[in-house]
Amino acid sequence: MIRGGQNYVSSPPAFSNDCKRVLVCTGNTVSVFSTSTGLQVSSLEGHTAPVTSILVVPATDVFCYCWTSSFDGTIRYWDLSVPEMVKKLDLGMPVSSMVIPSFLGSPEETNAKTSSVFAYVSVHDGKAWQIRKCNLTNYQKVGKLVLKETERPEPLIISPSGNYLGIKDKCKLHIWKLPRVESDLAVAKKITLHHTKNITILAFHPTERTVAAGDVTGRILIWRGFGTQKFLDPSGSNNRISMNDGEDKPGVRQNDDAESCSVWHWHSAAVSLLSFSPDGAYLYSGGKEGVLVLWQLDSGKKNFLPRIGSPLLYFIESPDPSLSLISCADNQIHMLKTPSMEIMRSISGIKPPLSYQEVCENFSGKAAFDCTSGLVAVQTENYGIQFYSLFANRGVYEVQVCERNHQPVDDVTVLVTLVELSVDGSTMGTVEVKLPEEGIGGVVCLKFWELDSDTKRFSVSTVIYEPHRDVDISAVAFHPTRRMAVSTSYGGDFKIWVCKERDIQQKGQRLQNSGWMCHAVGSYKNKAMRAATFSADGSVLAVAADTVITLWDPDKNVLMAVVGETPTPIVSLAFAGKSEYLLSISHGLKPQLSVWSMSKLAMAWSYRLHVEAVCSTIDSSYFAILALLPESNERAFKGNGIILLFNATDPIPVASMSVMKPKGGALAFLKGDLSEQAVIDGKTPQTLLVYINGDREYVIFNPYDKEGHKLSVIRQDVALEETGQFGYSSIYGELPKFDLQKEKTLSVMSSASERPWETIFNGSSHMLPPLTKLCSVFLESLLEKRTAVAE
Amino acid sequence: MAEPPHSSQPKTFPVKPKQKPKPRTQNQTPESKYWSSFKNTQIQNLISVPSLTFSPSSPHSFAAAHSATVSIYKPQNDPLDSPTTTINSFKDVVSSVSFRSDGRLLAAGDLSGLVQVFDVGGSSAAARSALRRLRSHVRPVRFVHYPKLHRLRVISAGDDALVKVWDVAAGDSPVTELRGHKDYVRCGDSSPVNADTFITGSYDHTVKLWDVRVGDSKPAIEMNHGNPVEDVVFLPAGGIVATAGGNSVKFWDLIAGGKLVCSMEGHNKTVTSLCVGRIGKSSDDDLNQFRVLSVGLDGYMKVFDYASMKITHSMRFPAPLLSVAYSPDCKTRVIGTSNGIIYVGKKKMKEEEIVGGASEKSLFWRIRPLENTEKKVFRPSHFRYFQRGQSEKPSEGDYLIMRPKKVKLGEHDKLLKKFRHGEALVLVLEGRHPGNVVAVMEELVSRKKLMMCISNLDAEKLELLLVFLRKYCTVPRYSGLLMGLTKKVLEMRVDEIRGSEALRAHIRNLKRSVEEELKIQQSLQEIQGIISPLLKIAGRR
Repeated sequence: MIRGGQNYVSSPPAFSNDCKRVLVCTGNTVSVFSTSTGLQVSSLEGHTAPVTSILVVPATDVFCYCWTSSFDGTIRYWDLSVPEMVKKLDLGMPVSSMVIPSFLGSPEETNAKTSSVFAYVSVHDGKAWQIRKCNLTNYQKVGKLVLKETERPEPLIISPSGNYLGIKDKCKLHIWKLPRVESDLAVAKKITLHHTKNITILAFHPTERTVAAGDVTGRILIWRGFGTQKFLDPSGSNNRISMNDGEDKPGVRQNDDAESCSVWHWHSAAVSLLSFSPDGAYLYSGGKEGVLVLWQLDSGKKNFLPRIGSPLLYFIESPDPSLSLISCADNQIHMLKTPSMEIMRSISGIKPPLSYQEVCENFSGKAAFDCTSGLVAVQTENYGIQFYSLFANRGVYEVQVCERNHQPVDDVTVLVTLVELSVDGSTMGTVEVKLPEEGIGGVVCLKFWELDSDTKRFSVSTVIYEPHRDVDISAVAFHPTRRMAVSTSYGGDFKIWVCKERDIQQKGQRLQNSGWMCHAVGSYKNKAMRAATFSADGSVLAVAADTVITLWDPDKNVLMAVVGETPTPIVSLAFAGKSEYLLSISHGLKPQLSVWSMSKLAMAWSYRLHVEAVCSTIDSSYFAILALLPESNERAFKGNGIILLFNATDPIPVASMSVMKPKGGALAFLKGDLSEQAVIDGKTPQTLLVYINGDREYVIFNPYDKEGHKLSVIRQDVALEETGQFGYSSIYGELPKFDLQKEKTLSVMSSASERPWETIFNGSSHMLPPLTKLCSVFLESLLEKRTAVAE
Repeated sequence: MAEPPHSSQPKTFPVKPKQKPKPRTQNQTPESKYWSSFKNTQIQNLISVPSLTFSPSSPHSFAAAHSATVSIYKPQNDPLDSPTTTINSFKDVVSSVSFRSDGRLLAAGDLSGLVQVFDVGGSSAAARSALRRLRSHVRPVRFVHYPKLHRLRVISAGDDALVKVWDVAAGDSPVTELRGHKDYVRCGDSSPVNADTFITGSYDHTVKLWDVRVGDSKPAIEMNHGNPVEDVVFLPAGGIVATAGGNSVKFWDLIAGGKLVCSMEGHNKTVTSLCVGRIGKSSDDDLNQFRVLSVGLDGYMKVFDYASMKITHSMRFPAPLLSVAYSPDCKTRVIGTSNGIIYVGKKKMKEEEIVGGASEKSLFWRIRPLENTEKKVFRPSHFRYFQRGQSEKPSEGDYLIMRPKKVKLGEHDKLLKKFRHGEALVLVLEGRHPGNVVAVMEELVSRKKLMMCISNLDAEKLELLLVFLRKYCTVPRYSGLLMGLTKKVLEMRVDEIRGSEALRAHIRNLKRSVEEELKIQQSLQEIQGIISPLLKIAGRR
């Protein structure tokens, strides 16, 4: 089982002391990447909920330890070199943020008193998020003292000197001066700075008493000399207030404790990134525009790194002054060469799903799979397709589909609605839609792409504007063996495209050029066509015309047969491998999965299930579906979705597993030579099933394998073993062990498993076989047990 | 994959019109590119041109027979309208002209039966009067020819079905009279390898090969074309002749005794004239560069590659064509039409080729100057020291690092980049390219700025927009966008349009063109209604 596709940008990453590693929070694990290659080196596993912060213990190069906090209520101490966990503190409350002041500041100070390390944590006690103190060295309990309660988990920001701790709370900024000598009882002094807008981010100056904050309108406020009265004056502030009345404190609001406040405004949307440069001369800021702005602190002059292409989230300075990181909302972490503001390298995660459903109702957002090379193609926000290697868990490359630059702040006017790959992965079809302005100027564009055999990159082969007049394309399907494709439209027709070779003589040399041309057009009673598929040998084309399935000869374009009727329109079609069965899926009020026998031209069996995705093996008659479970069943299945594996001849599933976040998910069988990438128990697996969920996290497993054998992954740079533990259950919860199978398999299974009667009655009622059948199986399993004991 | 290409590199995408589908027919072959690279000029205001011929000697002037005049043109002259020499001493229409092999004498025959020889090598005044007047034909002369390898003889033939060979130096009576043809003799050609043999073609469908040394009026070889023969030509090797008659051009092998080699049936009407053309490239294989150019009354000039038996190029002219000639230096191709226009195709030769050839020849005799061979080493005191190596050509093994290609931006692109949307729209509307206008409009739509632009146009610019819409809103390629836009414009700017007379006129025109389009659509639908049942019936069978 291989997991991947994690979000790299849920929390700020951290550098190791020698700058050669970057620690990135990836869900429940911490992944360690190399800065020189941008590839993953190792990972820290153990947390059972998303990791929220990573703090590397400052030391010389040799020792590399770090603290992590997580929503699972633990704080763990890791040795990075091994890598394994050293210590685990159980707080019992989810931790949203953690800072350790003693790691910062001057080194001799930390060396002198190695008594105990204190951390400030933001924990949830059941009612609100509280900021508390926690002794990490001699841990007994989280400190009783609550510095502040907030409604939402606010990130704790600590000044680079380690003297001040700050949080934002709506329009206010709370700053504590931390006691020089930490103890359980030491109390921090607090001041509050006010603003009229909600503050989104704050940052402390490395040396001076200056704090910068960004607000939702894009303004940056800089308070200089904060806390002059309270923090510096030990005698209290009563007598100073009267003196201050006459003083000039430009820009400071409500008698706040600061000397001056200045405002800079460049960002048009909320500021999400603020960071001072280590020498304190510059301030980095960024926001939704995807532009990194470098402010000269004295003069307010700006320098820009434009067109990063995605909202910026975090900016991390490394101990090496020439290297820093930017985390972007599109799951990319860019390594920045600081003085020249130049992106050197990127850690490329899978791009997050788009949220275009409200813009265009026909948007599918389904990923396409290249089953032979183990790539998944997903639409990206910047009008492109990202090819993501499932086995290596990293982005391979991107193809720009629309010739446009993406600006994150702009409205969406162009989107890639469909992407489809041919079976051998050599051809890609994309559909892009230009949304009309006030009803005019919308364009639908179908593009065919060819894979360059040398560079393994797709390049555009043919562009077809408005292939079905002005109607949207609902589906594109490729012929399994030949260079033929079909596109269906909501307007009630489908077109078959073929690729023709052309010879063009140019400057004496012969160039082979190929172009896609319309070969045939078909329609059935002007019904909207929403899905199409070719049979495994390519001799039959099935097109779903509203609620019926039409079968065509793709070469002669002759309607061969019309099959059946479903209660609601069919949205997806697939042939069950090489078998004579065709699957249809309809959504709506009466969702249905139907299996049609092509020899009888009639329905073989059906389920009333809302099926989100379906995929079939190429060579056998097995297929897998991803079904959304009704909400009432969620508790029973520990997940709101279920993957069922069927043999097309039999309505009883062969295997099942429950999953989370199935909405917008996809399934595919990966095939081909995986000997380089993955091995199950020493022998090459026949088939692997990949499930990618709505958040584009994916898991690859062998669906036929009941035990959950370990699948060791050999990466190019480092061998990474995902050992023992059925890692799947740690992310999606324990698997319910119900196996609804046909009698024969069940009897075989019962001898293998120890307590089969537990599994027999699990499952939803509509999928349970009749009780009479179950009873005999149940008794049989008991008998089997007895004999096993007797032997 | 050490470094994935960074996806968000700053890129510029110029706003371009949508690509049109490429034609399914193949692109131009290099040969047809060659033949269409002749730059056409016209010589007009003549009466029909039955004969054209090139002087074999440089500068390869050509003589054109038209009405009772022969004009000699020098193709190097730039406006070709005026001839260098005009010969008017004819009593009737001139039917045929021919240069002697050195280009100094010209023989011409007219319909009165007279054959005259002129001196065209010297001044134009000398050519006014004939050197010889050869009168023997009693019917119109249709064919006069100076043999390619004999300077003294002239061959003539005409409507009296007689072929006569004259000795120009000796006197005014024919040396030989060859009787054999049974109808008008219209054409002939002399062998390029033998001074004594020539062929003639006649309206009695036959082509006859004559030998002057045999005086018994019996042709050496006789070939039956099957149609009245309009033109015959020897191919350069001398073993094959091409004959034109009816709609076909036939090729005969003389060495095999007059065997038909192949027949080219590309013309739709009578083929009137033939000539041999050469692809004037400095290509090393001489074998494959001769072509037969044929012209016909259907207005087509066809280029036939007799080696591969293929028509390699075809070109249409707007008149019936009567004669064709191709200059020996491959620079000029002339075609005469029946309505008195000569189409002169001139090929632009690169100046360097000519100059380079000449200088090399001269260098052969001279010693090269020393500077050229020895490379000069510049010192830092010399200004060229700082420019050295800038124009150096890369040698074969060098690793080239190209300068990144600059994206060419149009004016409208620059305006769009500066977000000056309205100005960009007006700029393309003032331009002549409807594709650009539509592309800019689509770009504005995707920026959601088109409506804003249109509502901000002032009256003058609105007129511009309306003119554009009237012209192009019914063009199928643009109508998807423009029809909706037209409606929107009318809704948005109804007050201004009501207020201005000029705008109202445009709207009237617009309405008319839309109505016209509706009519067309309706009739098309009617036709479809007629055809579709027929197709259905045809499909059933």
